[in-house]
Amino acid sequence: MPTDVEEWKDDIYGTDIRAHIERFAEEGWDSIPDEERDAWFERFKWYGLYHQRAGQESYFMMRIGTPNGVLEPGQLRVVGEVAREYATGPVDNPEFGDSWADFTTRQSIQLHWIKVEDVVDVWDELESAGLSTVQACGDSWRNIVGCPVAGKDDHEHVDALETVHEFQSEFKENDRYRNMPRKWKVAVTGCVEGCGQGEINDLAFDPATKDGVKGYNVRVGGGLARNEPRLARDIDVFVPHEKAATVADGMSALFEAYGNREDRYSARMKFLVDEWGTEKVRETLQDEFVDFELQSAGEGFRDSYSYNAGRENDGHDDHVGVHPQADGRNYVGLNVLVGRMGTEDVLELAALADEYGSGEVRLTQRQNVIVTDVLDEDLEDLLAEDLLVDYEPDPSPFMRGSIACTGTEFCSLSIVETKNRMVRYARHLRDNVELPDEVEDFHVHLSGCTASCAQPQIADVSLRGMKTRKDGEPVEAFDLGLGGGLGENPRFADWVGERIPADEVPGAIGNVVETYKREREGSETFRDFVERHDEDALEDLVEPEETSYEDPMMHNTKRTWYPYAEDDDMAASPAPTDRNDVPLDQGDDAAPADD
Amino acid sequence: MVGRLMKVNAYTTLDLVDCKTRTADGETTGLGVANATSAREDPDCVRFQFEADGQPEGVAAHVDELELAPEQARELAGALETHADRVDAAQGDDASD
Repeated sequence: MPTDVEEWKDDIYGTDIRAHIERFAEEGWDSIPDEERDAWFERFKWYGLYHQRAGQESYFMMRIGTPNGVLEPGQLRVVGEVAREYATGPVDNPEFGDSWADFTTRQSIQLHWIKVEDVVDVWDELESAGLSTVQACGDSWRNIVGCPVAGKDDHEHVDALETVHEFQSEFKENDRYRNMPRKWKVAVTGCVEGCGQGEINDLAFDPATKDGVKGYNVRVGGGLARNEPRLARDIDVFVPHEKAATVADGMSALFEAYGNREDRYSARMKFLVDEWGTEKVRETLQDEFVDFELQSAGEGFRDSYSYNAGRENDGHDDHVGVHPQADGRNYVGLNVLVGRMGTEDVLELAALADEYGSGEVRLTQRQNVIVTDVLDEDLEDLLAEDLLVDYEPDPSPFMRGSIACTGTEFCSLSIVETKNRMVRYARHLRDNVELPDEVEDFHVHLSGCTASCAQPQIADVSLRGMKTRKDGEPVEAFDLGLGGGLGENPRFADWVGERIPADEVPGAIGNVVETYKREREGSETFRDFVERHDEDALEDLVEPEETSYEDPMMHNTKRTWYPYAEDDDMAASPAPTDRNDVPLDQGDDAAPADD
Repeated sequence: MVGRLMKVNAYTTLDLVDCKTRTADGETTGLGVANATSAREDPDCVRFQFEADGQPEGVAAHVDELELAPEQARELAGALETHADRVDAAQGDDASD
C-alpha cells in the first residue's frame, strides 16, 4: 500500500504546486490549514522550500539549485540581495550576523528564515537572474553535482558541463521526473581527479574511453544516509559523451518504476541495487529502458582520482588556491569555513568576481567557492583584497578541510549544534595543533546525526552528533571515525570513538595528530597512517581530552527554539510569526495580528 | 568496533540511556540508544529497538528489537509508568531540596 506521502503527491505535485504556494503567499501563513500542513510542507519541497524545525514554525529554508555549482555573472549578486532582504529572522547568529548564504555539499545555496509571504517576490528576483529553486528538494532530480570547474579545468577528459546542461534541461526544467520514489542524486564528472564524488550518488557518470571514444562509465546506488552508507556500484556500462542523456533517462525511469513506494526508508536506489545486484540492474536497464545496445565499461581514470582522497600525489584534494584553467586564465578557490558567508561578504565577493574575473563563481562540494576566469596579471591584486583575509586561498589545513551540516540551528533531525561549533573547532585546531609541514589537507566532516549531510564517512576525521553524560549531566557529544576518503580505493570511516563530549573532541583530534606525527612512516598521509592500523589499534589512538577549547553549547540545543537566542527556551519562541517576524496571536480572544 | 548500527537523530526516543549487558559469563555496564517506533505506513506493530554502544567480548554488535502488539506496548508503557512513579517517590524522599 503506497505511503501517505505518495497519496499527497498523487493529488498535487510538480509544477501544480506553484499556484498553491502563490495563494498562500498572498493570504499568509495562517491560510495553510493546520490539518493539511504536513501534506503542504511535503509538496513545498519540490519548490526548494523546507519548513524549519519546532520552535521556528512559519519559517522556511530555501534551497537554490545551481547545476554543477555554477553561478553565472550577476547571479551571486542577486543571491546576496535576496539574502539581505529576505533571509533574516527574529534573532541573529553570534558568528555570522543576521543574514548569510550557505554553500552546500551538493553545490547549491541555502537561505534561512524565509517567510511564505515573501516567496513569490523572492522567486521573481531569482528567476529574473536565471536562478531556480525547482526540484532542489523533494522526490526528484536533486541539484546535479560534478567537478566545479567543469568546462574550464585543464585536467578534463570530457566536457561534463555540457552533459550537466543537457541533463538540466531534459530532466529538471520540466515535470518529466516530478515524482520519483525518493530523492535522486546525480553526479557527472569529466575531470580525471574524481571531483564529482560520483561514489556517493544514486547515479554517477565517470570519465572513460572505449575504442577511442570519449564518454562515461556508469555507476549506481551510492549514498550515505541512515547509517547505511554505500558506494555507487559498477554496472559495466560505457556511454559515449553525446548519448549520456539516454542512459540517465533510462536509469531514472528504472528507479521511477521499480523504486520502493511502500516504505520511504527503503526507497533510495542503493537499496534497490542491494536487492537486485548490478547484473539485474543492467539487464533491466537494457531490456526495458534503453533502445540501443549498452556497451560494457571502458577505461576509466580512477587511479588518478585525488579529490578528497587523502593520498600523496600531484592531484587536488579540493579546489582551494590558485590554479590554471585550460584557457590560460586562472581560477582562485577560496575557503569558506563551513560553507557560510555573511550577506555583505557575498555581495563583496560578487563585486570582486566582476572586477577580477568574468563575474562567474562556482561552488564546490566542500562548501567552498571559486572565482573563475582571472587573468595572470590580475591575480596579485585579487589576492591582496581584504575579503580574502577571511576567505583564504591558502588556509590552514584544519580551516580548509572543515565541513559541517546545518545542525540544531535549523534542522529537525540534528542532535547537536554543528556549524558554529565546527568554526570553533577549526580555529582551535589551527591555533593549537600542528601538522607536519608538507601536509596541506586534513578533512574533518561534522554531521549532526546519521543523516550524514556533511558526508562524515569520507573524511580523515568523521564526527557524528550524539549525546553523553558528563559530570552527571547529558551533554552534546560525537561519535568519531577515522580513515575515510575517496580516490582510487574509496572507503568509509571506521567508527572508533563513541560519545566523546563535544568539548573533548579537539583534544581527541590533537592527540591522534600527535601520534600520527610521531609514528608516521616517511611522509605517509594521515589516511595511509590510519589504514595501517586495525580497528583495535585505532580505538587506542582516540584519547578524548579537555584542552583550552571551551564549548558554550554543551547543553541540549535541540530542545531550544534557537540555540543562540538569549532566552532559548522553547516557550520563548516567537514562532509562528507574520511576514515582519511579529508573533502571530494564537489565542481565540486575541486581536488579529497586524500584517 | 563495528560502530553504531541504529540510525540516531533528534527523533530517536532516547539517545542516551544507561544499560547493562548480562551474559552467562558476567555483566558489563555502559550507554545505549533506545527507540520506540512504528512503520510510517500501515504499521502492524510497535517496534521497540535497543542498541548498547559496545558489546562484551564474544558478543557481536547488534540491535535488539521487540515487535509489540498495541496491547503489549500499552502494558509495557503502563509498567514503565508505575515504576517511574516508584523511582520518583523514592528519590523524592532522599532529595535534599
